[in-house]
This record gives sequence, structure tokens and C-alpha cells, in this order.
Amino acid sequence: MTSSENLKSIVIVGGGTAGWLTAGIIAAEHSANGSESDGLIDIKVTLVESPDISTIGVGEGTWPSMRSTLQKMGISETDLIRDCDASFKQGTLFKSWKTGGNDAYTHPFTPPHSYASTNLAPQWQRFSNEVSFAEAVSSQNALMFKDLAPKQISTPEYAFHTNYGYHLDAGKFAELLRKHCVGKLGVTHLKANVVSINSSADGDIESLKTDSHGDVSGDLFVDCSGSRALLLGEHFGVPFCSKGQFLFNDTALASQIPYVNADDPIASSTLSTAQTAGWIWDIGLPTRRGIGHVYSSGHTTEDRAAQELLAYITATVSPEAAASASIRKVPFSPGHRAKFWHKNCVAVGMSAGFIEPLEASALVLVELSAAMIAEQLPANRQIMDVVAKRFNDKFLYRWDRIIDFLKLHYILSQRQDSDYWKDNISSSSVPDNLSELVKLWRWQAPWHRDTGHIDEMFPSASYQYVLYGMGFVTQDSTTVRRSDREAHSVAEGLFRENAERTKKLLASMPTNRELIEKITNYGLQKI
Amino acid sequence: MSNYVLLGTNAHKDLKVITARSKNYGDNVMHAMTFPMEFRDVQSSYPIFFCKDPESGQFYPTALFGLEQDQNLFLTEDGWDAAYIPMMIRRHPFLIGYQADSEHEDGKRPVVSIDMDNPRISESEGEPLFTESDEPTDYLKASISVLESIHRGHEHNKGFIETLLELQLLEAFTLEVTLNDGSNNQLSGFYTIAEQNLHQLDGDTFDMLNKKGYLQAIFMAVASHSRLRPLIEKKNALLK
Repeated sequence: MTSSENLKSIVIVGGGTAGWLTAGIIAAEHSANGSESDGLIDIKVTLVESPDISTIGVGEGTWPSMRSTLQKMGISETDLIRDCDASFKQGTLFKSWKTGGNDAYTHPFTPPHSYASTNLAPQWQRFSNEVSFAEAVSSQNALMFKDLAPKQISTPEYAFHTNYGYHLDAGKFAELLRKHCVGKLGVTHLKANVVSINSSADGDIESLKTDSHGDVSGDLFVDCSGSRALLLGEHFGVPFCSKGQFLFNDTALASQIPYVNADDPIASSTLSTAQTAGWIWDIGLPTRRGIGHVYSSGHTTEDRAAQELLAYITATVSPEAAASASIRKVPFSPGHRAKFWHKNCVAVGMSAGFIEPLEASALVLVELSAAMIAEQLPANRQIMDVVAKRFNDKFLYRWDRIIDFLKLHYILSQRQDSDYWKDNISSSSVPDNLSELVKLWRWQAPWHRDTGHIDEMFPSASYQYVLYGMGFVTQDSTTVRRSDREAHSVAEGLFRENAERTKKLLASMPTNRELIEKITNYGLQKI
Repeated sequence: MSNYVLLGTNAHKDLKVITARSKNYGDNVMHAMTFPMEFRDVQSSYPIFFCKDPESGQFYPTALFGLEQDQNLFLTEDGWDAAYIPMMIRRHPFLIGYQADSEHEDGKRPVVSIDMDNPRISESEGEPLFTESDEPTDYLKASISVLESIHRGHEHNKGFIETLLELQLLEAFTLEVTLNDGSNNQLSGFYTIAEQNLHQLDGDTFDMLNKKGYLQAIFMAVASHSRLRPLIEKKNALLK
């Protein structure tokens, strides 16, 4: 590809959820079959997948963004629910994070009531002894505690009463995406192993030498090869930046546990229960629960971590389930590459980085990366470096914010029952930006201007849910402020509206399981 | 609540059914399912829209009688003031049920049930179901024929709705009604024929719709919109 030649061909390496999501998002924006009509060329998208490497599912939880991602690709939500063993996720329910006891709070996907205009957090603090923050400002909180669904069978595909994402079987999800990408979006699927990389004189990747499909050439190469980072890491040697100094967790013990009874409730939140040196995730799919312990190997042993996991399964499922659980160990390095787009290669998914799934950031990062590649796809090689720089700036910023937000969960904890929790609040383990923000929020509640970007991953609403869910206290303003007075005058009405809406939703929403069963039987309508 | 039992000559020999139309007999419904086979009659009195069954989310065509829940603007002191009453209203207190029957094509056989808790059921007044000689009365025969039509209507609706959805011929709409007293009423949760899409269909598709018997039904539903104005006027008349 010379500098002024048009970009015509994209080659994606890796066929997990990252690879197929990226292929689908790019192909949904740019016709992908490489044909020519009216003098305009379609971009050709090719995905090279090794027949020998099995994919590991990064995360089984998505953000609400997945709805519009799938809708744009033209995937039916009914198919997603039926084919991917998917259920509805309304946010995260955190247990034992605050004190290590029976404390619990939610981080719902729906922002606080009237969030665009009124900051209810300072108003709520006057009642903080009577009602939790999430309960006072969000009607989703109550649905989450009761395993209710965010919509009804008569609600059209992708529409909702309360905002939601999904829990799903990552392997089945990749398969659904593959079928759709190849069958509907014109993506070319090659099953081949990449043997070596052919470079052009300027150091770009010219083609991939494969064992069964010869040389596969392209103008842009997307590295979705997983933590191995075949192109960005192994070939280009872009260094890895460990973030283990902030987030200690580096090992996961994962298991899949069947329900005791076929009609047991399916939680409509990811359950995250803090342990002595990590936390346990519990993700309810229609046919099974995915339960795993992610912990710091520097603070506990595999045996102790496994014991805590089995104790959790014993308590929340059954002793029999714990006895027959098969546990898979997945070590990982928390962190990301020093940059993600280098020359004509961009990394998406675990090749770009990985961090504990505390806020299910893995799949949403894939969506955001692929969406930016699709939107800003450079027309030719000479502007690719400009796009690459912007991409790198944006995603380095995003990684920093993810680390800030994840770390926030730890530094607000009152737990002192292990070195893990004590080390988590030592100042050297807290990013400077986060320390500053928390200092600020002692005196003023988070609000729209506290986050820097319009497409921020964690808006100030998310910070509010975690801060006040964890019992954080912001001092009352000591001076008279017009915005406070205004908020004060409407707060009571807004709290009442929220309580009324909550009551209505509790009476009308089916359980997560009921809705999924109805979708299996009848399907969701498109309108 | 309903209490449906299988209709039997012995058990229900002396039963009568009150056929008067009144709120007391549960006629105060806002809308009722209808079927293309009766669209010609229905559209002469009522707007035909589409709505979703809250239990399954499945669409069905429905005849509109009122502008809010439990309101039937056709009910007067003297009964139901319209030239035609839809079958799903006339069926009460009967219901078509199904019994397992391996000889029947779907493995089930339609049977007639009666709702013993329906306020229309009486022993003193109304239409008898059976004659002295245990034969079904003309009233019962007519009721059974309504049930049979409904049974065929359900089957027909399935294909009709499937085709409408496939061709994207349904769209949601919200009706804002300002009544004479200045109050605003909003009718939502209903769907109607997407006329723009309808007009863009090609000849082959129209031919297919015609052959399946859907074309006339589609245009009858469109034409029925003109019944909305009289319905609103009925509501306005009540305000006086």
C-alpha cells in the first residue's frame, strides 16, 4: 500500500468474541465483500482464525452499549437470547465490599432519576440513614435485588423499561457473530495458522504467511489474537505496561455451576462478592451460573482462593455443586500495551490489554475500539498515523479511567481483614488522578464536569453509585448556592416520582427467567 | 375470574344465557380481538388497530370501542348501539377449548366450554341452551358457529400478522385526542398499517397479498380509521 493508495482491505487475526465483534462492527459500517459498484469500492474484511487455538471467553457480561452494537449489525435480539444462552443484566450487585459483612449495594445501568438536570446526591445525603442512594434515585435498584427483568415480552427488541446489557455464553456468542458476519455481512473467514509476517520496506505488515491459505495481504491488520498479541506484541514488540501496582488481582479460578432446580431465579445483575484477597463473580445464564474467584496471587494461595470459591458455591448453590465443581485456573497480567495502533496494525481485545472484570470492561472496550476503527477508518496510508495517534491517545485515556474507576471500589472499603485490603488503600497503590478526585468529592458531589470527555466510559453517575453505595460522605456545602436551592425545591418530588415508578415496575416486570422463557417460546417483536 | 367447564347436555340442561349488553355483563371493554373475516362488518362501526397480547407479545387486530381502559362508548342504557358486534364479544360466556385427540390433525380437537362464573349465566332469564328434547337450541347453534369462526379466525390471524410483520406493514402510533372540555387524552400501545410502506410494495407482493386474502383486510383496516372521529364525538357527547 503506497501512501496515497486507498485503504481497501482489512485483515483481522483471531476468531474469538473480540475478532468477530470487530469484524461485525466494521462490516456493518463498510460493506465488507470487496465488490465495486458506482465507482465506489467496498472494503474487504477478512478474518483469519487458527483452527488449532481454542478461544477463551473474555467476560460473559456486557454493557448496555452491546444493544446498539448488535442492532447496527442487524442481529435479532431474539436470536441472541435463544442462541447464546443469554440473560438480561441491569448492573452489578456488590456484596461484602464495604465491611466484609452482609453489606450490599448496586451500580445500576440507569443513571439517577433526572440526572441530566438535577444532582440528587447532596439532597439524598440528608436521608442517608433511611434509604440507600441507589434506592432513592433509581428504580432499577429494586428490580436488581428481586431478579426481575428490565422489560416485558411486549417490549420491542432492544427497547427497555430500565437500561440493560447481557450475560451470555462467550463461546456461543462468537459463533452467532461468525454466522452473521459470514452469512449476512460479507466477511471472509479463513481457517489458517499464521506462520510468519511479511513486512514491507517501511516496516508495515504487508501480508501474513499462513499454513493453508498462502499469503493473506491487507492494508490494515487488526490483532485480535488474545493476550499473546501476535502482531502488536510478538511482531512489533510494543511493550506491555503492567498495572499490577494499582490493581493486584492477577489470577482467576473459573467454574460453571448448574442450577439446583431448572426454575431457580436467574439474577439480573452480576453479583460481585468481596473475599479476603479478591472477589467472586456470579453470572446467571439461563442454563447455568458462571462463578469464579479473581484474586491477587501475591496475597493468597491458590488453595485458599479455591476454598473461598467452594465455600461460596456451597452457600449460594449447594454443597453437592461445590463437591462436583470443576475449576479452571486462568492467570493474567493486569495491564495494557504502551500503545494499541502501531504502523498499519491495531490491537483489539486481550491483545490490547486485560484487567479484572470488576466492571465488565472487556467487551465494551472491544466495541469502542472497533467502532472508532470503523468510524475513523483512514482513507489511505498517509493519514493512518494521524488516526493511530488519536486512537492511542483516546484508549490510553480510557485505560487510565478504567483503572481509576475499578480502584475506587477498593479504596472506599472499610475492610481491614487482610493485607490485601490494607495494601489496597496504601497511597502508593492509588493513581494520582483518583486520589485527587476523591479528595474533591469529600467537599462536592460528583457531577457532569468531573469527567473529561463526552464519550466517557464511566460518567459521574457511575462514580456516585459506587461512592455513596460504599458509604462515602460528601460534606454539605457551607455556603448558599443557587443550584442547591433549586435542587432542594424539586428533590422531594423527584424522590417521590422515583418511588412511584419503582412500585409500578415491581408490579409489572416479569422475572428474568420468565421473560427469557417467553422469548424462547414467542420471540420479541421488532416493533 | 373465569371458571370454564366442558359444555354438556346433562350438566347444563337448564342453563340460560343472558344476551343483553351491559356493563354488568362485562361489556365495558375498551377493545376486542377481531379477524379479517369480519373486518367488513367491523370497519363500518369501529376503528381497527393492532395490539400486543401482554402474555406473549404477539400481535392481533383489535376493534376499538373506547379511549381508555374499561370504557366502551357504544354501551348505552339500551344496550350496544352499533350495527355489528364483534365475534369475540358475542362468544361470551363460551370459549373454544382443546382436547387431546390423536385422530385430529394437530393432535387436539376443538371443544366448547362455558364459563360458569360469567354473570350472563342464569337459570331464570335469557336464552336456553337445550330444548326439551336435549337438542341444542338455535341460540346455542349460533354461538357454536361463532366459536368455529373464531377458531378459524385465530389461524387466519397468525398468517396475516406474520405477513404484515415480514413486510414491515405495522407501525406504532400514539393518538393525541383533545376533547371538547380541553382535556388531553393519549391512546398508546396500538399499532396501525404503515401506509407509506404499503404504497411502496411491488406488484408481485400485492398479488401475493390478494391471493392470501390479506389485501382487502389491509385496506379495510386503513379505511376503518374514519371511525375514530365518531368515537371521539361519542366521548365528547358524554362530557355535556
